[in-house]
Amino acid sequence: MHFVTACAILITMVLTLYRGMRGPTLYDRLLAVNSFGTKTVLIIAVYGFFSGRPDFLDIAFVYALINFISTIAVLKFFEYGGLGGFNRDAGREHS
Amino acid sequence: MQLNKLFSAVMLFGMYSLLSAALFVSLDAVDVALTEASVGAGIATILMLGALSLTTNRQRQISWKRRLPAALVTVAIGVLLLYGLSDLPVFGDPAAPAFKHVYPRYAFESPHEIGIPNMVTSVLASYRGYDTLGEVTVIFTAAVAVATLMGHGSDTRSFSGEGMEHHLILRINAKLLLPMILLFALYVQFHGDYGPGGGFQAGVIFAAGFILYGLVFGMSTIREVAPPKIIRILCAAGLGLYLLVGLCGMLLGGNFLDYNVLAHHPVHGQHIGIMLIELGVGTTVAASMIGLFYAYAEHEHRQ
Repeated sequence: MHFVTACAILITMVLTLYRGMRGPTLYDRLLAVNSFGTKTVLIIAVYGFFSGRPDFLDIAFVYALINFISTIAVLKFFEYGGLGGFNRDAGREHS
Repeated sequence: MQLNKLFSAVMLFGMYSLLSAALFVSLDAVDVALTEASVGAGIATILMLGALSLTTNRQRQISWKRRLPAALVTVAIGVLLLYGLSDLPVFGDPAAPAFKHVYPRYAFESPHEIGIPNMVTSVLASYRGYDTLGEVTVIFTAAVAVATLMGHGSDTRSFSGEGMEHHLILRINAKLLLPMILLFALYVQFHGDYGPGGGFQAGVIFAAGFILYGLVFGMSTIREVAPPKIIRILCAAGLGLYLLVGLCGMLLGGNFLDYNVLAHHPVHGQHIGIMLIELGVGTTVAASMIGLFYAYAEHEHRQ
């Protein structure tokens, strides 16, 4: 059961990786990185139960919490061209 | 694979760090995986974006003739590493040097010498206390160097960068997640004796929570919550606490960083010592990371 789940998650990871490499627009890539992180959370959790080590859940937690922050940092970077948010519209040139 | 767009390189770097953390998980190195997860996926991406905002998005084109020496050096080092690889013991070989030298003592003595279940913490904080002190000093020095080069967060409130509060979903989500992140950081800090974790990971997660706050609610708001002056003091105070614990061991008649003498019972002394130095490590790491964020975020203002 765990094995089948892990395989399914791995397949979706490959799909998101493809989208991240290929992704014509920035938002495709961003969404790909974000969902890749979510898939990592899932696969770590599944692997933890698969090998009987539930303390792997700690790592899954870190990902679930931290992945969100880097996505927001990327979005801010594209809206303002930096992390401080001093010059609006400066970020347009990057996309 | 070659990428000219630096932003794509940063994104792929984040994915790479996710993958390597998965690799550490499957090698059963839970503490390392936790570090890689918090540093690689969280802080490193944010700091690289900060660096990217100070430079251009595209790598300058360099003719292949100038690249040739670098390529040769890379290939030579790769060949040397592959040559060295052939001498390494087989994976899981019980006769490997890693299992011979100090391993028996760490693995079999630490449960009653140190008395905490997570062997990684007892090696890191007690047996190898000197090495960890060195690591904390490196982080402190790096923070000082960045502050010297790029300026640390200024104490005046004369400017304010925009936050992202006008995005409703983002604001609510950030408010919901922030307490969880800080609570989880404290859990990692103080549960490090029993499960994976410790000062380094906890400090990074704690700093990530503050950085989220700064990103969403603006630089002027976060500077009221965590004034740069206090961050600078905390950065040095963590390292100072570490050194102080070491000196206390000396004053009470033991060696430097010998926790056995801190309490009446050696194991109890070890517990107190490890908890205090992990607190010092966590303080320095968190303050350094927040300081780095200030340096990057405010430097772009000055340009």
